[in-house]
Amino acid sequence: MSYLLRLLDSLRRSRFLLKQLVARDFKVKYKRSVLGVAWSLLYPLLTTAVLALVFSNVFRFSTPGVSYVAYLLTGLVCFNYFSEASNLCMSSIAANYSLIGKVYVPKYIFPISKCLFVGVNFLLTLIPLYLVLLITGTGLCWQHLLLPYAFACLFLFTLGVGFFLAAAAVFFRDVYYIYGIVLTLWLYLTPVMYDPAVIGQPLLQNLIALNPLYAPIRFVRTVMLYHETPGIGQFAACAVHGALALAVGSLLFKRTQDKFVCYL
Amino acid sequence: MNDVMIRAEGLCMNYKTGVEKGYSLKQGFVDCFDRKKRAARRSRSEFHALRGLSFSVARGEVLGLVGPNGAGKSTLLKLVAGVLKPSAGRIEIFGRVCPMIELGAGFDPELTARENIFLNAAVMGYSEPFISRKFDEIVAFSGLEAFLDAPVRNFSSGMTARLAFSIATVVEPEILIVDEILSVGDLAFQEKSERKMRSLIGGGTTVLFVSHSIDAIRSFCSRALWLERGEIREDGEADSVCDHYRRSAVCGKDDESA
Repeated sequence: MSYLLRLLDSLRRSRFLLKQLVARDFKVKYKRSVLGVAWSLLYPLLTTAVLALVFSNVFRFSTPGVSYVAYLLTGLVCFNYFSEASNLCMSSIAANYSLIGKVYVPKYIFPISKCLFVGVNFLLTLIPLYLVLLITGTGLCWQHLLLPYAFACLFLFTLGVGFFLAAAAVFFRDVYYIYGIVLTLWLYLTPVMYDPAVIGQPLLQNLIALNPLYAPIRFVRTVMLYHETPGIGQFAACAVHGALALAVGSLLFKRTQDKFVCYL
Repeated sequence: MNDVMIRAEGLCMNYKTGVEKGYSLKQGFVDCFDRKKRAARRSRSEFHALRGLSFSVARGEVLGLVGPNGAGKSTLLKLVAGVLKPSAGRIEIFGRVCPMIELGAGFDPELTARENIFLNAAVMGYSEPFISRKFDEIVAFSGLEAFLDAPVRNFSSGMTARLAFSIATVVEPEILIVDEILSVGDLAFQEKSERKMRSLIGGGTTVLFVSHSIDAIRSFCSRALWLERGEIREDGEADSVCDHYRRSAVCGKDDESA
């Protein structure tokens, strides 16, 4: 607990650095592109369009009662946040090698800054998401006010995984390759493109429920698509997965961070 | 008696060198089960960069570090900067350390000079209002007003170094680490930076100075530390240490050619 307080305190002191790092990433990302920030909005829309075309026309996927495009986009926006942020976290320590080797910087700043940077992007992708919700006639409800809770849990979960990957990638470069495969597999194991209800076997459905990424996605869908208040179980699942990932990831990171310089 | 800014006691730093070669997940996994092998690998591959240094540096002292390549100078600087943790022994720092990052290692080439000043200041742990106050001074000292909104990737190495030097010194750090940086930039800037260094030294900044230029060490430093193979060979007045070091370096060369 005292460790957590100290962490928060040093985070408060490094907020200028954090702000600068996030701003840097943002500026660099769109530096030489004509459309700039518009890509943040267009990209998820275009991928959704492609996936919707393939899955609803070719594979004849459907989600009874709700628009398939809205279903797809809600899952995709969350999953993309996770995959992009965790990928950037993974290389964040190695990418800032020249800094870490010369100046004392609290190293956990780098994964945090990546999660925040992609987080800002994520908030931007909510704009096309809400547009789709309106266009498809899905509509809004008061429960949308609960969504920041799910987003926060997704953020913490991603940060935890990011800490783990960042530390692991310093010692074993194999992690880059392995994680690429893991992410692809994870995308298909997470009900992003399909409704788990279409899977007949209850065993498989239970396995899917264990997927930590599915908790926030399910929460978001319960609110956005079905206009319901998520049950206490859903609240708990989001928090437990987030806290667990963060605990494991940050502990590993903390225990290995002094050795980073020697391995980079 | 001046107060102590840096104190090292029995400072050791070991690097694992062998692990670099083909250390992968597989090897790590195998090693988990074979403790004996792991211990053997570890001892075989250790490199002792520093072997029990003890010294202290007082406020306002300008300490030059001399020694051949691989003597442990840069390792020592990294320990002072807090980048490395010592393998054994202790190092205590009393004050804010400002490492002058050579050639702007903390710069992002895609960002403009203006953006990089803020980024670099943030990296060095300064607050936003502080750097906003000092911004004009930094720009004026670097003499890069005309290029403020150009990306640093288009800068020459001399210009980059000027920017780095300006950020590092304008903020008047308590402990300044200088690793072979004064030789960059053009003649006019070299003179300017030399003057700046002298005024910092006069103002009580403690400086750790690494250079292969014996003349620079002589002219700046009051005291010098001669490192060799991770040990202190000599610690004393800059002039006499430099004399001895130069003599040994020249003799060493003679022996080789003979």
